[in-house]
Amino acid sequence: MSIKTAQESGLALCPKCHKLNDMMQSSGNNARIQCVRCHGMFYPRKPRSLQYTLAWNVAALLAFIPANLYPIMILYSMGIGDPNTILSGIGEFIDHGLYPIAVIIFTASIIVPLLKIIGLFLLVYRVHTGVRLRPDKHSKFYHALEFLGPWSMLDVFVVALLVAVVELGFVTSVAAGPAINYFTLTVIFTMIAANSFDPRLLWDKKQGSENTKEENDY
Amino acid sequence: MNKTKNAKQLIACRQCDALYDAPMLKQGQSTICTRCGCTLTERKVDSIERGFYWSLGGIMLSVPAILLPIMGVTLVGQYHHASLLDCILALIDRGFFMIATLVFLFTLAVPVVRLLGAFYITYSFKFNRLRPSLLHFFRAYHHLDNWAMLNVFMLGIVVSMYKLLDDTELSVNMGLLAFILWLICSTMASSALDQDYIWQELENEFVD
Repeated sequence: MSIKTAQESGLALCPKCHKLNDMMQSSGNNARIQCVRCHGMFYPRKPRSLQYTLAWNVAALLAFIPANLYPIMILYSMGIGDPNTILSGIGEFIDHGLYPIAVIIFTASIIVPLLKIIGLFLLVYRVHTGVRLRPDKHSKFYHALEFLGPWSMLDVFVVALLVAVVELGFVTSVAAGPAINYFTLTVIFTMIAANSFDPRLLWDKKQGSENTKEENDY
Repeated sequence: MNKTKNAKQLIACRQCDALYDAPMLKQGQSTICTRCGCTLTERKVDSIERGFYWSLGGIMLSVPAILLPIMGVTLVGQYHHASLLDCILALIDRGFFMIATLVFLFTLAVPVVRLLGAFYITYSFKFNRLRPSLLHFFRAYHHLDNWAMLNVFMLGIVVSMYKLLDDTELSVNMGLLAFILWLICSTMASSALDQDYIWQELENEFVD
């Protein structure tokens, strides 16, 4: 590994304007720095990144449970209500033979949130312990998670649209269920969790463990 | 440690903190971090001109995209349609205030503010009216990067169309066309903005 990091050279990158700033003498990672270019305050690494990620992740996981138990949408037709959870809504699409839509909804509202929560737990664990850490693979995985985040809002937008469009009085109407609140919270929490994870920690940890290994060899 | 090099001639990867010499790029070129494979810097073609016109178009299209009905349903002789704004109002009506606020933010407020921001920045560059306040303004602009979800809402429209097609008579209104054009304009406007170039220019103007 011949690549030098900014941190080793006593420099810190502003996360907003990407300007390299000189780190103040003997201040380390936890000192706030004011960027000389955009005047914003920032830290060389996101402070307590792992703890924040873990906390938001647990919150997301907790919110995901009621999101799947309560009905997300209630379809009234001739005055009779038909409550649907996320999973039973997908089942309905399959019954009607709309497989592509069923796959899209299932991916966006079940697979992606679960993948994000499990993936971030895994990343936090790997960075904390340094076991089998492969920064190149893991940072790509992190970017995929970050990119997928907003797409989970799909189900919320579909319900919002249906509530507004299908409003024909007694004949048929759609109401949103309590699960939509919890589901939105899940999505927001996973987005914040992904945001508070600092992918540079992957490389720091790897380099740190390699350095100690070299020292042990001598 | 090699401290002879000024911090100005160096750049660091945003994702893995690897340090490189700052490259000289022509328009349309970009550099990639050799360690993690992320884009390091990019020099976009005609960034200011393109950003200016796309954001201008986006601002003009935002009004019809928000207010015109996107689609309508007919069932047993009754017809009802809804626009983007109606979605939010319907949610407020039913008491889902949190969802209404978030849908308002992600599909209406953030995209509009981002378009206005991109327009203001490119306008200032195009007509050479740079002010020191732009430094703060452009920094604030980056806070909104993750939270515009027009593309997700577009997929939501497609999915709910499929859902409605099944047992009602669906009609598509002008709002859908306006919304698609608005989505294209705002995506192009935000991708046309050349952050590295804008920050460099602002630095040359005000910091030194």
